[in-house]
Amino acid sequence: MAAAALHLADRAQAAMDRGGTTPLIELHGVTKTYRTLDKRSYIAISPVTLAIKEGEFLSIVGPSGCGKTSLLNIMSGLIQPTSGEIRFHDQLLSGPSAEISLVFQRPVLLPWRNIIDNVLLPAQVMKLRPWDFYVNKARELLALVGLQDFGNAYPRELSGGMQQRASIARALITDSRALLMDEPFAALDAMTREEMNLELMRIWSLTGRTVVFVTHNIAEAVLLSDRIAVMTAGPGTLRDIITVDLARPRSLSLLGEPRFGTMVDHVRTLLESQPNRGAGDIARVVTSETIE
Amino acid sequence: MKARMFAMLYPISTFAIILLAWEGIVDVLALPVFYIPAPTQIALALYRGFDVYMSHLWTTMYCTFVAFAIALVLGVAFGALVSESRFAERTLLPVMVALQSMPRIALAPLILVWFGFGPTSKIVLGALTAFFPLFLNMAHGLRTADPDQIALMRSIRGNRVQIFWMIKLPTALPFLFAGMQIGVILAMLAVIVGEFLGANRGMGFLINTESNQMDTAGVFAGIFILSAVGVLCHNGVQYLRDRLLFWSASHEITGSTL
Repeated sequence: MAAAALHLADRAQAAMDRGGTTPLIELHGVTKTYRTLDKRSYIAISPVTLAIKEGEFLSIVGPSGCGKTSLLNIMSGLIQPTSGEIRFHDQLLSGPSAEISLVFQRPVLLPWRNIIDNVLLPAQVMKLRPWDFYVNKARELLALVGLQDFGNAYPRELSGGMQQRASIARALITDSRALLMDEPFAALDAMTREEMNLELMRIWSLTGRTVVFVTHNIAEAVLLSDRIAVMTAGPGTLRDIITVDLARPRSLSLLGEPRFGTMVDHVRTLLESQPNRGAGDIARVVTSETIE
Repeated sequence: MKARMFAMLYPISTFAIILLAWEGIVDVLALPVFYIPAPTQIALALYRGFDVYMSHLWTTMYCTFVAFAIALVLGVAFGALVSESRFAERTLLPVMVALQSMPRIALAPLILVWFGFGPTSKIVLGALTAFFPLFLNMAHGLRTADPDQIALMRSIRGNRVQIFWMIKLPTALPFLFAGMQIGVILAMLAVIVGEFLGANRGMGFLINTESNQMDTAGVFAGIFILSAVGVLCHNGVQYLRDRLLFWSASHEITGSTL
């Protein structure tokens, strides 16, 4: 356990040594247009340009339908942008990369594998060796997320929060540099959610990963982030990026402080000041002629 | 274990009451034995002809299992092909669906002409009948794979083969087992029909002969044995399923008729 923590702390230090301020993920004029079944086009994202620094915790907040999940999937290489480009560590990203791991809204554990085998799935799929090293690492990670006694349990035996912890451990098994999280705690109850927020801050500080965290919960974004990218709908675009200058380590007591409240209000005002509010759904649907 | 034994008491007592009523009605109405025998007469027929029944049962079960095994291999292979290849889906699936709605038992006389009166014709008929529930359940099961699990596999750079073995196949297994439970019974049914139509061995042949000799008690004894074996096969698959697919709740059965 102590050895595990030490090992992870080394990694965090290494991440800081790599620079800490150089951009890890860069988006240049990224757009995404979907074609609906009735042959119309739907602009999910209008040009977004954004640079995410190595080691930072960046949240993307916005209302549903603002394209934040699409943007995250583009960053992960799972979907291709309609135009624009994504650079990952100065390399053009053309598909899923071993350097990027994803955490989904649902835990997406495979019910026929026990927890440790679920955590090992990326290592197995990517054929990472030596295997023993990854088995040990999986045990360390389970300890990190508080599931050291559940390696042999099956997903259905775990609560929603525990399953999501396991999925975070799975995302950390490879030596990825970025952790992209798509509303990972949205399905959890309020208490479990707060607990998971603290857990995530601890894991982030220990592992030194760059985290991109999509949420529609403003307080969660303020509590966790170094910076918050605020997106608005109609069509989905980046409204502003806010730096959260609250000292770390942060705790839940921060939630009651006035400067926390001010920060939350600031983000909320930005979200409510979106230009096409109300007309959003109509404005987003355009005929294919107007696009081409 | 004790609770399970206790739960068994309910169907057993229902069964016992039916048998008692049957025995009583046959006795009171004095129905002739060739018309409907009493349970005791059936039991006697079963006891006296036990060795004969077992030897014919062996033939029937041999044909059933060979037919089922062939249907299983073909059903899994074609199910996988249709779900993985767009081309196979377009060319094969409509033909399969058309064949599926054809009453395959009606082919029995033709198959007897082609494959003779020996076990081969029964195996062909059984395999043909059991194939469809296996094929359709396999194809359907592979398609029900969770899109999020596939997205996860793609995000960790999983290739198509890995997605098939690690996600789609485990997802399809409960469906395949549902198909197996129907398939094994259908295979047995088809083999028996084949034996009715033309054979010199097997339970179908035996029951047919007994019927022609007005040995109704013997016919009933044969039916009783076949029912017992049918239940055994069905439960055997169920047992395997519960052992192997512990993670999955029981699935709805996507069925197929004769």
